[in-house]
Amino acid sequence: MSNNDLIVHIPDEEPHDLHNQPTVSVFASSIDPKHANQIVRRLNQIAPLENLRHVKRIQKKVLEGGQIQLSVVLCLAYEGGDQLYGVPSHLQELINSYQLSPFITKVCKYEATSKEEWQEQCKFWPTSYHPRTYSIEGITGFSKEDSQSVLKFMQSAVELATSDGLVVNAAVIVDPSAKQIVSTARDLVFAWNPCKDDSCYRKPDLFSAQSISNSLDPEKPLHLSSCNHLKQSYRSVACLYPWQWAEQQSHSQSSYYCHPLRHAAIVAIESSAARDRHLFPNNEGSREKYLELDHESPSTSSPLKRQKTVKDDKLNGHSQTSNHIEDGDKLNIHSQTSDLLSARPYLCTGYDIYLAWEPCTMCAMALVHQRIRRIFYAFPNPKTGALGSVHRLQGEKSLNHHYAVFRVLIPEEALHKCHT
Amino acid sequence: MTSQETHIFMELAIQQAKLAMGALEVPVGCVIVEDGKVIASGRNRTTETRNATRHAEMEAIDVLLEQWQKNGLSMTEVAKKFSNCSLYVTCEPCIMCASALSNLGIKEVFYGCSNDKFGGCGSILSLHLSDAVSPNKGFKCAGGIMAEEAVLLLRTFYEQGNPNAPKPHRPLAHQTTT
Ligand SMILES: [Zn+2]
Ligand SMILES: [Zn+2]
Repeated sequence: MSNNDLIVHIPDEEPHDLHNQPTVSVFASSIDPKHANQIVRRLNQIAPLENLRHVKRIQKKVLEGGQIQLSVVLCLAYEGGDQLYGVPSHLQELINSYQLSPFITKVCKYEATSKEEWQEQCKFWPTSYHPRTYSIEGITGFSKEDSQSVLKFMQSAVELATSDGLVVNAAVIVDPSAKQIVSTARDLVFAWNPCKDDSCYRKPDLFSAQSISNSLDPEKPLHLSSCNHLKQSYRSVACLYPWQWAEQQSHSQSSYYCHPLRHAAIVAIESSAARDRHLFPNNEGSREKYLELDHESPSTSSPLKRQKTVKDDKLNGHSQTSNHIEDGDKLNIHSQTSDLLSARPYLCTGYDIYLAWEPCTMCAMALVHQRIRRIFYAFPNPKTGALGSVHRLQGEKSLNHHYAVFRVLIPEEALHKCHT
Repeated sequence: MTSQETHIFMELAIQQAKLAMGALEVPVGCVIVEDGKVIASGRNRTTETRNATRHAEMEAIDVLLEQWQKNGLSMTEVAKKFSNCSLYVTCEPCIMCASALSNLGIKEVFYGCSNDKFGGCGSILSLHLSDAVSPNKGFKCAGGIMAEEAVLLLRTFYEQGNPNAPKPHRPLAHQTTT
């Protein structure tokens, strides 16, 4: 199995049983290729395929010896209709004038929701397949390099999920253009909170998140210090058991801070927002500026340069963590235009998130709000998952943003592996 | 709960929405009520925080969790508290917030206008209904309370043009983002 096969796109609509896709019967006929255009034009007028727009009107077969055979769909065949008398009368004239001999065949009833479905459909009769009205990288497959980086980031998320003895959900937000971790988080439904004054825990844990991101550099494999007490149970995975918090035994006094909604994805979004505010403290119009720049040709480079200088000053002015300086260095290698794009995105536009488990409805919708581009998860969440298990938010047409969803097939044993 | 009380609390939620509007945030506000008393309020802060999940409901919930734990309540007690709380919010809770309210086990939700893009209490999903998977985790829900005022605020906001929306989204005049 190659790396690419381990990344499975989770489509917008529930897929049909691949080999038992619903079909309908149609009348078809083989035609003389030199009449094909006329016949199709005429049929589109008198017998349009209203509810079968995905079905191609013409099937082309290359016979032995290179001869081409064309067949055309005439119209729907109604159930129980006799082959001879079933062809509607308004088609008889066409049938007679081109001396067609109608036969009944099957076409697939619904548009394919995946490449695999589409390939199966075409065994009956060719159909068209439109993966999405918009394209997101990866839906049509990953390059070897990209799939390798997907697997590495997923491994980071799974290792983070098990890094503290207790298995929880974990999230890693990545800027794929720079192959750089933006933020990481574990479920913080129960968080050790030694700090008593509230200014402390309301503040997102920016700097510890940054230090984790360094250790999770995909180029360097992560080493966990110990995993002796890894439990087999997943009761603490917030997205799997979102109601579990209420049953939690109270810990002695208030050294624990509990927040029932601080699932890993929510915390990771919060960290990435904090990073954004930290790196670009001046919100005023900065996005507007770069959007405008984005539409300008790179030759008008003076505003670009000005913007770049401002950004560097900001980075240097806040160089408490080495990570920020690395950011600056990395950005310098790229072209200036991509600097600006990767430097100041709107929310998480263009970013990917890696989650150990399929997110619950709350987390999945939070990721819509924050404009995540792609979601990768390793393990499904059959009872509360919102990306295909219970709900399927990536296919909710009314939402104003749609991400692409992928499952990365890694064995569950990965959760119990001891990395030393 | 008389309809007069309902209107008083919704009026307070609308005041929160106006505060949001004044801060150039999408104007949605809410209050949480326990035993006939407002115990928390919240308004949208998505622009200020650059965190699009900071909806009014989330802000108000965080106030309560902080307060109750400061007072030394255990999680069981916190759960019991939520099961006695009503939320008044100017716009139907979105899918994220409705799901969060179900996770917390809130008693009931009163909302103003419906949210036909993101609504989680009937418009897109019906997360207020309990099901086999999550028995007793639904909540009572009633919409349309002072809806005109809630819509007017949103309409005014979007007609002015949301200075924080990315440019391609500007023409969407009546979009709600709660
Ligand atoms: Zn969750
Ligand atoms: Zn919401």
